[in-house]
Amino acid sequence: MSDNPIVVCSWGESRDGLPAGAEEVLHIGRALAADCQAALHWLVLGPLPERAGEAAGQFGVAALHQIDDAKLAPAGADACVAALAGYCGERSPRALVLHQTLEARTVAPRVAGRLGAAVVMNGVAAAPVGENLEITASAYGGDTRVVYEVGPGPVLAFIANAVVPEPGDGAPVAAEPVAVDLSGVEERVEVVEQASFEGPRLDDAEIIVSGGRGLGTQDNYKLVEELAAALGGVAGASRPLVDDGWVDSSHQVGLTGRITRPNLYVAIGISGASQHMAGCSAAKTIVAINRDPDAAIFQHARFGIVGDALEVVPELIRAASAS
Amino acid sequence: MRVVVCVKEVLDPDAVNNYAVAGRLEIGPDGKTLTQTAIPRLMNGYDEQAIEAALLLRDAGADFTLCVISAGSDPDKLLKHAAALGAEELVAIQVDPATIDHHGYARLIAAQIEASGGADAILCGRQASDDDQGVVPALIAEQLGMPVVTVAREIALQEGALRVTRVTPDGDEVVKAPCPAVVTISNELGEPRYPAAAAKIKARRAKPTVVTPSDLSLSEDDIAPKVLLKKQFVPELQGNCEMLEGEPAAVAGQLIEKLRAEGTLP
Repeated sequence: MSDNPIVVCSWGESRDGLPAGAEEVLHIGRALAADCQAALHWLVLGPLPERAGEAAGQFGVAALHQIDDAKLAPAGADACVAALAGYCGERSPRALVLHQTLEARTVAPRVAGRLGAAVVMNGVAAAPVGENLEITASAYGGDTRVVYEVGPGPVLAFIANAVVPEPGDGAPVAAEPVAVDLSGVEERVEVVEQASFEGPRLDDAEIIVSGGRGLGTQDNYKLVEELAAALGGVAGASRPLVDDGWVDSSHQVGLTGRITRPNLYVAIGISGASQHMAGCSAAKTIVAINRDPDAAIFQHARFGIVGDALEVVPELIRAASAS
Repeated sequence: MRVVVCVKEVLDPDAVNNYAVAGRLEIGPDGKTLTQTAIPRLMNGYDEQAIEAALLLRDAGADFTLCVISAGSDPDKLLKHAAALGAEELVAIQVDPATIDHHGYARLIAAQIEASGGADAILCGRQASDDDQGVVPALIAEQLGMPVVTVAREIALQEGALRVTRVTPDGDEVVKAPCPAVVTISNELGEPRYPAAAAKIKARRAKPTVVTPSDLSLSEDDIAPKVLLKKQFVPELQGNCEMLEGEPAAVAGQLIEKLRAEGTLP
């Protein structure tokens, strides 16, 4: 067994008492640790999420470390970078593995820059090659995959958009405090106005109905909202609708928007560009409604309807509302 | 004051996507690069928006020299476009893209900025639309000890600081970063402007300053890649889509019934 563990790192807490994407990234970390014959460690920055100990047990985490410092509650970018660079400098993990949130997109390359370590974003798979690792990552908005080789100790961020199998039932793991001196850290970027989002979040939604350019006009987006309401779900959109100002960016599903994992994803008038699919391919069931029978979305969908959204969606609203 | 914008040349991502959707995207014999020679090369769209962000600062009355830097084999076309838009300084860092990774680019760009008088703000696109990595801005910031603010939809200069509106999953967030700082620009900034015809003609004569790694006292070792591209491939899709056919009301009923039957809907 290699002495250097695979370290999964997370901060913050989302639904279910765990950080967003924690189970997905622990699943990736566990597989990589097994392939490397290395231990899996989980490093939590700031307050311990309620279900961390339990999830650590389920995913085979050998050690749950916590850096608990006032500067990490909530975690500012400068404090996160300093904590991770300090921790990795001390312990030389085989790889540092993150779930690719917006914050991680900034923190991962900064930590790599500080450590002089390799960094790969948009990861979808990883495997050892001798002492090195091969990382498969998404490129061209998902149109291609690239395989990178990196030496030991890289910082890796994964788009955790695969379905996670049921975790095991290991005994809960107690958190061990780890000290990193953050006394010299002063956050340089000051938040003047916090983002405030009210209403249901796409990340947490079990049912999502999304619209794209195929809707024709902005006015027709209300069909998406009405179907979402009839199904008890949340309305989303593809990037062109956000770029054109039909809806705000909190609705955007895709590589540069939200990575969602609902039970049901209904794509209306969405062509199925890879950059969009990166944000919904973890859905258990995808339904596609599109006028173009050759639209790429049908290659991802479980059920497809070729037709005009303006004719089909009102009927769906009716059928969904009838019990 | 000096504002630096970093730009990269990429294959037109829309053209790449069109080939991909048509199932005609192919990887060349080297196993690493796309074969479509018909795909145009152009400035990364997010980088165009980074130039636009600088021009919007200028429109708002900020007085600065605009320096546009590109690294790669032949950045002449991109830099002339930047000149036509109003960049006073153009820098081409000459390096073979096949031999360098993001760390190398960041080291070269940071060294060039330091050697040429520094920057009060460095603006970059949020990511390049070819590899989508988006790590160079943060690596430059670490090299230069600057803070970095990502995914800006709007920036403004305010008493030695940058006020940045960020596009976050929870809506807009407004932050303030002391200058000098690195800011990455997102597509929400809006459409970049086109240069005027006269400015385009004048920019044809613009001569970028050409810089090599050794001009910046960087050895091959200093910019040796840590991340090696081994191969590139087009992912396969496993379609098992069940097409529902009939009149709108009939297919709608069928779909809801099927989703209920498999427990996806209550």
